[in-house]
Amino acid sequence: MSELDTLRNLRSEALAKISAAGSSAVLESIDTEYLGRKGEVTGLLRKIGSLPPDERKDFGQAVNVLKEELAAAIAVRLGQLSSTELDAKLAGEAVDVTMPGRLFRTGHTHVLVETMRRIKDIFIGLGYEMVDSPDIESYKYNFEALNYPEEHPAMDEQMSFYINDHRLLRTQTTAFQHRVMEVRKPPLRMCTIGRCYRYENVDATHGHTFHQVDCFTVDHGITMADLKGTLQQFATQMFGKAVGVRFRPDFFPFVEPGAEIAITCVLCDGGGCGVCKQTGWLELGGAGMIHPNVLKGVGIDPEEYSGFAFGMGIERMPMLVHSISDLRVFMENDVRFLRQL
Amino acid sequence: MKLSTNWLREHVDINVSLDQIADRLTMAGLEVEESKSVSGAQFAAAGGEGLSGDVVFDVKVTPNRGDWLSVIGVAREAAPLVDSKMRLPQVDMDGFRARQGKPVPISIQDPDLCRRYVGIVIRNVKIGESPGWMKDRLIAAGMRPINNAVDITNYVMLELGQPLHAFDLSLLHGPEIVVRRARPGETITSIDGEIRALADDMLVIADRDRPVAIAGVMGGAESEINDSTTDILLESANFDPVSVRRTSKRLGMTTESSYRFERGVDPSISDFAAVRAIELLSELAGGVVDGGINDVYPEVIKPLTISLRPQRANDILGLDIAPESILTLLNGLGLASRVVDGTVETAVPTFRPDITTEIDLIEEVGRAYGYDKMPMTLPAKSMQGRDNILGRFKDKLARVLISCGMQEAMTNSMIEGALVESFGGMDGAVVIRNPLSEELNAMRTMLVPNLLEVLARNQAYGMQNVSVFEIGNVYFTDSAGEPDERLSVAGAMAGSIWGESWNLPAESFAADFFTCKGVVETLLERIGIVGATFEKAQRQFMHPTRTAEVFVDGRPIGILGEVLPQSAEGVGVKGRSYVFELSADALMLSVPERVVVMNLPRFPALSRHMAMVVSDDIPCAALLETVRGAGAGILERVGVLDEFRSDKIGEGSRSIAISMVFRSSERTLTDEEANDAMTSIREALIKDHGVSFR
Repeated sequence: MSELDTLRNLRSEALAKISAAGSSAVLESIDTEYLGRKGEVTGLLRKIGSLPPDERKDFGQAVNVLKEELAAAIAVRLGQLSSTELDAKLAGEAVDVTMPGRLFRTGHTHVLVETMRRIKDIFIGLGYEMVDSPDIESYKYNFEALNYPEEHPAMDEQMSFYINDHRLLRTQTTAFQHRVMEVRKPPLRMCTIGRCYRYENVDATHGHTFHQVDCFTVDHGITMADLKGTLQQFATQMFGKAVGVRFRPDFFPFVEPGAEIAITCVLCDGGGCGVCKQTGWLELGGAGMIHPNVLKGVGIDPEEYSGFAFGMGIERMPMLVHSISDLRVFMENDVRFLRQL
Repeated sequence: MKLSTNWLREHVDINVSLDQIADRLTMAGLEVEESKSVSGAQFAAAGGEGLSGDVVFDVKVTPNRGDWLSVIGVAREAAPLVDSKMRLPQVDMDGFRARQGKPVPISIQDPDLCRRYVGIVIRNVKIGESPGWMKDRLIAAGMRPINNAVDITNYVMLELGQPLHAFDLSLLHGPEIVVRRARPGETITSIDGEIRALADDMLVIADRDRPVAIAGVMGGAESEINDSTTDILLESANFDPVSVRRTSKRLGMTTESSYRFERGVDPSISDFAAVRAIELLSELAGGVVDGGINDVYPEVIKPLTISLRPQRANDILGLDIAPESILTLLNGLGLASRVVDGTVETAVPTFRPDITTEIDLIEEVGRAYGYDKMPMTLPAKSMQGRDNILGRFKDKLARVLISCGMQEAMTNSMIEGALVESFGGMDGAVVIRNPLSEELNAMRTMLVPNLLEVLARNQAYGMQNVSVFEIGNVYFTDSAGEPDERLSVAGAMAGSIWGESWNLPAESFAADFFTCKGVVETLLERIGIVGATFEKAQRQFMHPTRTAEVFVDGRPIGILGEVLPQSAEGVGVKGRSYVFELSADALMLSVPERVVVMNLPRFPALSRHMAMVVSDDIPCAALLETVRGAGAGILERVGVLDEFRSDKIGEGSRSIAISMVFRSSERTLTDEEANDAMTSIREALIKDHGVSFR
């Protein structure tokens, strides 16, 4: 048998083994058996020296062709096998996709903080600058500077917690007005959001502690129409396009003309329901043109400048939007409640 | 104030539905809060006659509009809204003015507190029941019928807004009336039977010898109308609002009378109201008037004239209306006005003491024009809005803590002093002088007790795995003894930090000291604070060996650790709980103004581990400090891999394994360089801390 015959036999034997190989491990041993350093094909190459010189070139070429052919066949077969093996592996990894997932316990913003942030964003967009003002306030800033005459019945709605003769827990964030105007000159467009306190027993709609947003503007030529427009802007952004704002006369010592702000009842769209007492309107806060006495009190000439101010309760807004009937839930911090919002 | 609409209709013609007039009054500033039908049977059941039903409005009178606290006051407001005129009751004023004689002398000794005092005497009245129609009116207003004389004083007060008082003349010493401040030590038994001690700044109505009424607040029992009364002195007076308010508050008694005087009663109506009541007494109780009107009115109060610049009104209201239109609007409200040289001159009637300046008239113009008809604009000038630094910082703190899986909470600032005390925090606490209750008598000095209560409440609701935080003010007394406040950020956690899941063993995620510390370290890292240090600390409410004080730039900024079991149980928390509380103000000051990014490394790093046996006396932080010092130049970072104790190591020591990463920013490090650094580090650890290597 010539060396070429040997080569041919080797070829058919190897190809048969490759196509019969049942796993990538078997294929690997076939690869070693024929193409490894001590493999049979490699062994054929070593025999070249014993051949007659005129046969050596052809034989060498034939071995190399065989080597490439077998390597290619192994690669093809390996591809087939690993795909099958992977399929089998994946098939064995089945999960019941209807088993519950492992929920991440994410943190969560308190609904009042979220409300305050939304309010803040709206007023910043309307050109307001945010400032902080203290909870523990002086009688001067909370009442006197806001044009409350001594012993006025208007203070009945502002029953206060006192720390000492001249310091109290602020009953309204409006107390920031005078503080700001003492150190800043017009034009001013200021906003504060914070905690207020009133001497009131707690029930579903009243708390001794609550939160307010207060804004004021002082500039040349500010009008009541500007106040109305500003609050309509706020209501639209906060509650939606369909919500209207109603102004009607009301009394607060620090504004004149004074107004009550109400919005279209968001529950009945103004048609009248239990929440709005059939009026179609929900009271949101108080507003008005800053009283000349307040401006004079900080040395601003009310003939040169005018301004408006308004304040609104924070709690009422999420209560309306989310149908929360009892404001005590906000400070109870039951996570089952907080996580819903 | 409850208002009978039947009664209202007697004084103004209402040609629209009650719903419509309610709406118009509301839009004029007099809010009709409720409109309720009351049947005749309901009046009868309440002791009235109940010939017909009524619709009773509940109106909310703003504190500046005392003139609305009467039927005629509301009728006057309603009149221009229905194109009608208000009608006063028919009274024979001229006849009374012509009468002579003053059977009871009246003197006002303190005219600063009593502007006017009208007294009329009526004799031979027969005290008995009031007629049914009058009882119905009183019941509709929420008052209880008593007898004809008292009912008439109440009826006229409701009708005209002038509080009245009827004295039994035979029980007045003198008889005479002296309006004066109380004398030191004087007392009076008021009609409600209470003995009241009077202070010398309280105004009283006295007879020759003693106070017989607290001016504008309540009459005295010793001179009150009783079944055998025949002769009456009727008082119709005008008292100073501030004085009445102070007296009523000090004595703790608010009456229909004091409520009206506090809000201002029209001084011009005193005589009219007195005559109206006397006529009713004579008609319904059969009395005979003795003498005339004894009207002591030292300084007659005249209508105030105020000027209004039409341009000013338009500037404030954002309108463009002509002076003539302004005139029409004001006159419609009963504010007699005319135009003089382009300026509106208004004579403000005495029933509107709230109108004293131009801006008050501008409000009236706006009210009459209709707030709802005013245009809507935005301020002409645009301005740049912005958040404040603290606001942004608070938002950032919240974002980081939320990303750590914590739920944001909001708790009361007012808490129970005893709770603060049990946490050792009452030193310098701000105390509320007039608390609602003992549970709310102090301002919180820290947030931790409140947050532990939140944990306890949630545990009680069956939520075992809770972690919460709050960013809020805490309060203290400053060095000058004044209350002050600062911003605090705190957290509390108990149970698993992951929650419960079918393929997670809950205990493997149980919060512990290092979870809590990890939150604090994450928070500090995320806001850009580097180099915070932690030292063992002691606090009354904290675990004695699991509490750390946090330092930034060498300054203490807060604490963290495990809560003392007794303290946790004290607020109802079950199991172990962990808390931290940091001064947010201090944190904000330590935050770098700007962060400069480092270039990312281009050369590969080499990692090494090392385990050593260390005495418990040596804190881990000291070891790491030594490692950092000795690895200077090529040590990029060092971390702790493990800590364990065993019998083999022995008591008082533990094994700590650390990992190090070496890297050069200029070239690829060789193994030899890393090994040399490891040798230096080992030597330094032995030298500084006496550690041993196994």
